[in-house]
Amino acid sequence: MRPLLVLLALSFAGTAMNVWLLSGFLPWFLLPDFSFLAIVYSGLFLPGPLGFLAALPPAVFREVTISGPPGVFFLASLGVYFAASEIGRRIFLRTEVYVLLIVAGLLAAESVSVVLLLVLEGGNPFSLLWGAEEVVRIAWTSLLAVFLFMDLYGRWQRIRE
Amino acid sequence: MIALLGSAIQFFVRSPGFSLDRFVGGIGTYVFRPVYESVGFLRQGVSSVWSGYIELVTVSRENAELRKEAAELKESLKESRDAVLENQRLKELLRFSKTLKKKTVGARVVGHDVSPWFQGIFIEGGSGAGIEAGMAVVAPAGAVGRVHRTYPDLSEVILLTDSRFAADVIVERTRVRAIAEGMGGNLCRLKYVSKTRDVVAGDRILFSGFDGSMPKGTLLGTVVSADRPREGLFLNIRVVTAVNFLSVEEVLVVLSRPAVPFRGGTP
Repeated sequence: MRPLLVLLALSFAGTAMNVWLLSGFLPWFLLPDFSFLAIVYSGLFLPGPLGFLAALPPAVFREVTISGPPGVFFLASLGVYFAASEIGRRIFLRTEVYVLLIVAGLLAAESVSVVLLLVLEGGNPFSLLWGAEEVVRIAWTSLLAVFLFMDLYGRWQRIRE
Repeated sequence: MIALLGSAIQFFVRSPGFSLDRFVGGIGTYVFRPVYESVGFLRQGVSSVWSGYIELVTVSRENAELRKEAAELKESLKESRDAVLENQRLKELLRFSKTLKKKTVGARVVGHDVSPWFQGIFIEGGSGAGIEAGMAVVAPAGAVGRVHRTYPDLSEVILLTDSRFAADVIVERTRVRAIAEGMGGNLCRLKYVSKTRDVVAGDRILFSGFDGSMPKGTLLGTVVSADRPREGLFLNIRVVTAVNFLSVEEVLVVLSRPAVPFRGGTP
């Protein structure tokens, strides 16, 4: 129950902070996607129905705060959860490098998918500068994911001891 | 020496009403005056230091209180300035809403879409205030966007610069029509303008109102570049929006249904 509450708090506070407080001051590429991190952590660290349950609120937060077509980002977030869950079951080793690679890989996969869909739809709002900014966002979110992993994992170990 | 001289003068040239007590007292005055003075000086110094110290303690307390009071006053002054500025903006918004001659509702911007793919803002007021998807959102400086989704007390607006935004526009100077489409940042592109048409950098672009998505005459922005490519039929025109979306704080939602039926999420 405790990890579920931690992930819920992380996703809610992080998303609220980004969207309602910091979005006027900081450019979008410096705002890490906390809900995305919470979904990935749910898939990696919480097995079974508890992980799915933990992934639902951040998926709803993403759906509400990203102005995509209705339902798309909720389903995309669940897709991210299932991908993270599969990775957690098969190849995940609990080291910082793995966390970095998994988060960066999933963020990049999601970003490329959305860009591809938007380009196929006919819009082309993306430039080289946008690409560079997106790389910064992915790198920054992945680094933050590692620090969060180290902190949360350390706390969890202390609680278990 | 001076004291001795003084006493000799007193002794030899004495006045008719001479008395020994007064004489001794006079000598004492002369002899001990420096001591009195120094003691007096010291006493005065000590007393002034003490009273100064006590006063300092009081002053430091007063100082702290005054500083606190000054900080509070500064804060209230800042709030007053903010209120004055907000008042000015709201007055401008009110004046603008009167010029629109359409039913509008004011709304405060409460958040921004921080995703990398879409450009949107959140405004307070939603379906409860009569706001519906597809309604135009404007500011005194120009157009802002279109309502995308509504919740009871919140609405999501896609900005002019979002790639999903498109509307019928007209060049103010030459009345050339085009389709404006968002292209990220603070830019839009104008599509389907023939190479033979007269559009140059600096031209103002207005919404034509033909598609009913925006009030006629609302400013979109200014042309920053109009290139003629070697190949193709159309000009490459880029327009910078009139409204700075990061700094806009209050907007007006035009409460009239769009002429073209709007399907939620697919404007």
